Amino acid sequence: MTVTQLENWLDRATWRLAKDSAAQVRAEIREHYELARQEAMSAGATADEADRRAVAELGDAETANCQYRKVLLTATEARVLRQGNWEARAVCSQMWVKWIMLAIPLAALFAAMGLRLSGATAVARVLVIMGGGMAFLFGVPFLPVYTPSRARIFRVARWAVMIAVLLLAFGHDALKYSWLLVSCLWPMFWVEWQRASIRRKLPVAEWPKQLYR
Amino acid sequence: MNFKGTLPTLILEALRHEPSHGYRIAQQIKERSRGVLDFKEGTLYPALHKLENDGLVKSYAGVEEGRTRRYYRITESGRRALSKDRAQWREVSQAVTVLLGEV
Repeated sequence: MTVTQLENWLDRATWRLAKDSAAQVRAEIREHYELARQEAMSAGATADEADRRAVAELGDAETANCQYRKVLLTATEARVLRQGNWEARAVCSQMWVKWIMLAIPLAALFAAMGLRLSGATAVARVLVIMGGGMAFLFGVPFLPVYTPSRARIFRVARWAVMIAVLLLAFGHDALKYSWLLVSCLWPMFWVEWQRASIRRKLPVAEWPKQLYR
Repeated sequence: MNFKGTLPTLILEALRHEPSHGYRIAQQIKERSRGVLDFKEGTLYPALHKLENDGLVKSYAGVEEGRTRRYYRITESGRRALSKDRAQWREVSQAVTVLLGEV
């Protein structure tokens, strides 16, 4: 009966945690529970009383869950990491994909030059802006970003470039279309937010490559 | 007694002399404070994970009475953080003692 109480406590304490984090919590709390139970029994408590006391000593499961979610990976963060790893593998495992990603912005820049020479200035301007932005974003696998301080500089630069590109592309209409920009950029903000949270939770030595970007 | 925010320092102090596991750390804090600092043990492990994420303690698997347990030991950064916390605590407690007219 009280084992069910412990399982119930664990279910609530591991709510929304990643599978590995939840397994870790279950293992450490079970170990703790066993020791508390043994000690209570050696002090003269009955088995039921020892079980009850051991669970009560753990305190409120929701409070523990709230604290665990601040220090261990949540299910959402684990999903972001998995998706990021999949993307990184898809890009980095094939050399030609990396080169194509670099070739696209270069092609855009060359096309812009051609258009500029033929007199289509407005289209050329848009292509230059797009090419510049893409060159910065797609060139990531070629950049030497593998320390936390470089990663921080890179992230600031990336957002600065992205905002500058959007401001240049939309010009005076940037404010007018801000709702559109915010809606389009929202997924990126969200992923960036999740990654910032993951960075706080994982030791630097365990960071996958994607966390540097 | 509510001692929110001081748990990480108490954990570091408990680990100062020798590595230990979660249950023993909790008992040590309760015993050494003669039961005054009573806290819910479910909150101990998140604090230990936070200390580990910050590089102040390191965990490893050890065997006690034939059972594998997760042990924690304090790191050099942990010792430095502990002496800094101790100095801060002395200052604060002296100031509060003076304010409450205990001296």
